[in-house]
Amino acid sequence: MFTKKRIIQFCLAAMVFIAADVWMYHSLNNSFSVYVEQRNNNEVGLFVQTAPEDQSDIALWLSGVSTIIPSSQAMYFAYDETSFDFKPTKDGSQVAEELWLANRQNPLFAQALESAYYLESMQLPSTFQATIDGERVPAKIFFAPIIAENGYEATGAVMILVPTSSASDFARLLRILAIGAGVAFLAIAWVITFTRDPVTGFMVLGLFIIVGIFVAFPLFEAIRLSFIRQGSFSFEAWKMALSPSYIVALWGSLRLGVSTATISTILGFIIAFLVERTSFKQKKLITTLATMPVISPPFSLSLSVILLFGNNGLISKQLLQLHNTSIYGLGGLTLVQTISMFPIAFLTISGVLRQIDSTVEDASLDLSATRWQTFKSITLPLTVPGILSAWMLVFTNSLADFANPLLLSGNLRVLSTEAYMMVTGRMNDLGGGAVLSFLLLLPTVSAFMVQRFWVSRKSFVTVTGKPSTSLTELTTTPVRRILSGVTWAVLGFILMLYLTIIAGCFVRNWGIDYTFTWENWKAIPDSWDSITSTVLLALVSAPVAGIIAMVAAMLIVRKKFPGKRLLEVLMMTPYAIPGTLIGIAYVIAFNKQPLILVGTGAIIVINYVIRELPVGLENGITALHQIDPSIEEAAQDLGADVPTVFKTIVLPLVRPAFISSMSYTFVRAMTAVSAIIFLISAKWYHLTIKILSYSENLRFGLASVLCTILIVIVLGVFALMQILVRDDKLTQKTISTR
Amino acid sequence: MEKKSVSVTLENVTKKFKDVKGKADVIAVNNADFVVEPGELVTLLGPSGCGKTTTLRMVAGFELPTDGKILIGDTDVTMLPPNKRDTATMFQSYGLFPHMSVFDNVAYGLKLRKIPSEEIKKRVNESLELVGLATYGDRAPSKLSGGQQQRVALARSLIVTPSVLLLDEPLSNLDALLREQMRVEIKRIQKSLGITAIYVTHDRVEAMSLSDRVIVMKNGFIRQIGAPDVIYEQPDSRFVAGFVGKAAFFPVEIGSHEKGLWSCNLGGKEVKVAQAAPDVKKGDSAVLMARPESLRLEKTGLGHIDGKVRMNVYLGNSLESFVQTPFGEVLVQIDDPHSKKVYREGEDVSIGFSPDRVRILSRSED
Repeated sequence: MFTKKRIIQFCLAAMVFIAADVWMYHSLNNSFSVYVEQRNNNEVGLFVQTAPEDQSDIALWLSGVSTIIPSSQAMYFAYDETSFDFKPTKDGSQVAEELWLANRQNPLFAQALESAYYLESMQLPSTFQATIDGERVPAKIFFAPIIAENGYEATGAVMILVPTSSASDFARLLRILAIGAGVAFLAIAWVITFTRDPVTGFMVLGLFIIVGIFVAFPLFEAIRLSFIRQGSFSFEAWKMALSPSYIVALWGSLRLGVSTATISTILGFIIAFLVERTSFKQKKLITTLATMPVISPPFSLSLSVILLFGNNGLISKQLLQLHNTSIYGLGGLTLVQTISMFPIAFLTISGVLRQIDSTVEDASLDLSATRWQTFKSITLPLTVPGILSAWMLVFTNSLADFANPLLLSGNLRVLSTEAYMMVTGRMNDLGGGAVLSFLLLLPTVSAFMVQRFWVSRKSFVTVTGKPSTSLTELTTTPVRRILSGVTWAVLGFILMLYLTIIAGCFVRNWGIDYTFTWENWKAIPDSWDSITSTVLLALVSAPVAGIIAMVAAMLIVRKKFPGKRLLEVLMMTPYAIPGTLIGIAYVIAFNKQPLILVGTGAIIVINYVIRELPVGLENGITALHQIDPSIEEAAQDLGADVPTVFKTIVLPLVRPAFISSMSYTFVRAMTAVSAIIFLISAKWYHLTIKILSYSENLRFGLASVLCTILIVIVLGVFALMQILVRDDKLTQKTISTR
Repeated sequence: MEKKSVSVTLENVTKKFKDVKGKADVIAVNNADFVVEPGELVTLLGPSGCGKTTTLRMVAGFELPTDGKILIGDTDVTMLPPNKRDTATMFQSYGLFPHMSVFDNVAYGLKLRKIPSEEIKKRVNESLELVGLATYGDRAPSKLSGGQQQRVALARSLIVTPSVLLLDEPLSNLDALLREQMRVEIKRIQKSLGITAIYVTHDRVEAMSLSDRVIVMKNGFIRQIGAPDVIYEQPDSRFVAGFVGKAAFFPVEIGSHEKGLWSCNLGGKEVKVAQAAPDVKKGDSAVLMARPESLRLEKTGLGHIDGKVRMNVYLGNSLESFVQTPFGEVLVQIDDPHSKKVYREGEDVSIGFSPDRVRILSRSED
């Protein structure tokens, strides 16, 4: 592969291109600086011609210089006829005067003034540092004479300093583009020369570029910015984050995470046990109801909890007449988070319980253990890995949750909302926000690591491929009654919360005036733009995320290439990172040249795709592992190249995974809050943010209507996707039996 | 459809894999160097893990050799991806496309070649007829039996008229009877089309019955290349002798070599042997290899090795006598037992052989 001929070929191509690249960079850069110089000369000349005759108007005239040459500063020198010399005056900007005072010994300045005497303009050859608004910027200095009407004598001279920052911005952009072009060319040439299968090479390269720009780069920028204060390196942001006032917020996040995770895991286990391990009847209904909160917008439940238990809540105020209790704070937040996150625990634990072969329980009972002993010594230990990973997952989700705390946190301070306040509030401090989000990263990443590398390794469950049909009843009837009582209570509560939202749509003024009205439905025409843009962006991101996930899964499972592990890690990273951090990192990274994306729809789509990619990737990898590689090899053998194999074989075979990752992305995009809140713009607004602002303004009717709309759209699309997947059961079965 | 047969050449092909930890190299194929002649069917035979499938996959293009060159005809294909090679592979698990009908499976290769759909239809139907599945075009592959799936795979491989057919244990998932049928079928089609074929198997009967030549491999090394009868009758090592058939080994000291006969010392007796592996020489400690059917039972003292019959197993057309000797238990196969004297269990016997039916091999276990 690395033959001498190819290496020489590559080096030649690289040399030729780099030479061309450098040449282009230099000529563009030179011609631009020549252009800037000429333009400034011309403009200085033009400006000087507009000088007023009346000396008293000079100050006003000078202050107008920045309208002609952006952000320039000027000062005036009056011609003193007695000394045949120019004398500095107080007219003009302080910045210019300071510069003059600092440099007046410089012979260049004297020379420039002398040429003004001979009616010549002059630009000083070197660049000077000026201090504008407390920041030191490089500037060019011009001296120009003000010529009297007679045309042969100077009545005065002006010194104009023009900051070169716009020029250096351009130079920086040019440099980035030149380096980018060079790197891209080298990578492409490398793939063409040294790989046997360039298509795969390009796909790998493409993925690396995507994760490099949209995962690694923003995180790097966020880290960099967190160490920078007023243009120089400092630990100030970190000191601030580790100060007691923010440690309180970290402590709040942790308390919330632990209580939510613990209660959710217990609830999840009870319901999972009931569904998977008992002869309980309505399993389908329970599963459906229990998974509802997963696909509903994040603060729909907060909203209805406020409607029911808030300060003006239906239950708390109207029914119970409570005045001293508040739903805002740790308790209420734990309640809402538990209701919205216990489905995660439920799904995880029931997955594990389903895999336990009932015969091991039979064996225990057979050895004359009681049912309780069997549960305690067999079933429970086998489920421990599942319980632990459920706990970790809920914990991570709770810490990263942003929407519910925003509405319900009350006096409890948590990091995700603190970070948001830091960025959007009075401080307007992106670096500080980034630091607070990083603080959040510590517990979530360690939970993620523990879950992935320790808990999953301790798993005892073995897939035998022979699901046992018989199920041993481990519970006695009274126990089962208690379990199902708890389950129905929880599910009933969930149902009540959803019904409250629907009721909220038809009530004039919740908490005060419960008369029926259709008025709230005007929220739909009012928010029509955000509804369409929300749906549009979600619709665009779903297939993009799906395709990228499947391509990446194919490359990772089937192909060998250097850096595979790194690519996988980078693609999985967004899964462990709180949305707040991603949002802040994106704002930091994509608000400057050459990638100004903030404010566009593109950055929102990219954010969805990057954040939901990990789940799609996992789905795709699992699906591909179940497919015999010789199916793809047969296709390639018959003459199909890599893209054809992907299109005609891989994609149809992983269709269930493909569709489910698309629907997952769609649902998540429709219900996104945490990262999106930093990225939306007037043009691309998100429905959830609209709901949030209605809720914050106590316009619960309008919020309820939008919530309902969102739920209806999501449920509709979800149902559609389910039908599409069900269509495919046949294929799925044949793959697994082959 | 007619195509000129081509040869397949492997020049010093080596394949190294990283081990599980990604540290050390594992050599899967070591310096494989052989030519498959045009139209020939060559079998790669060996125990699992010997590198035979890796060798085949390198010819197909699924693996890239670490070293060496692969030529199909005169073209160097070492760096070409599988879709650019004129080979067709039949996989152990068939690799049928589960989401396509039988017809679409067979038509896949033709569609990729942008052949008009009328002609595709005609050719697919012809080839389904050839494999006896004319009426099965609409079925899903999962609805077919193993043997039928096998035929679909064969039709799918052959319809693109490859110059080289690669078969990776294609019959291992079939039952014994079907296997025999398909074996004959594959051989017939291969010969009639004149396709050069490489066949991978660990089943010696399959290798013997199908191949023009057999390549026996072990631990990545090629141990012997030859026609089936040569491999069976004249193995060059104990490993090859034992892998391609049943064999007894007796330790001997090699004495002289004159008039084409080696005289050896076998447990104190002198025996004459006509054949020897190329690597043995006078004075060596070696083994004497004998196939069960080359041995005969005689009265005590008349043969070369004395023993006692421990057990007789009657198989109809033959009888297997297990004889306890000072060198361990030895299997003697008596063909057509009705016409010969049979020694009963417990009787003392002597094992004899003629010099041209046994072979001296080096003592090494490999």
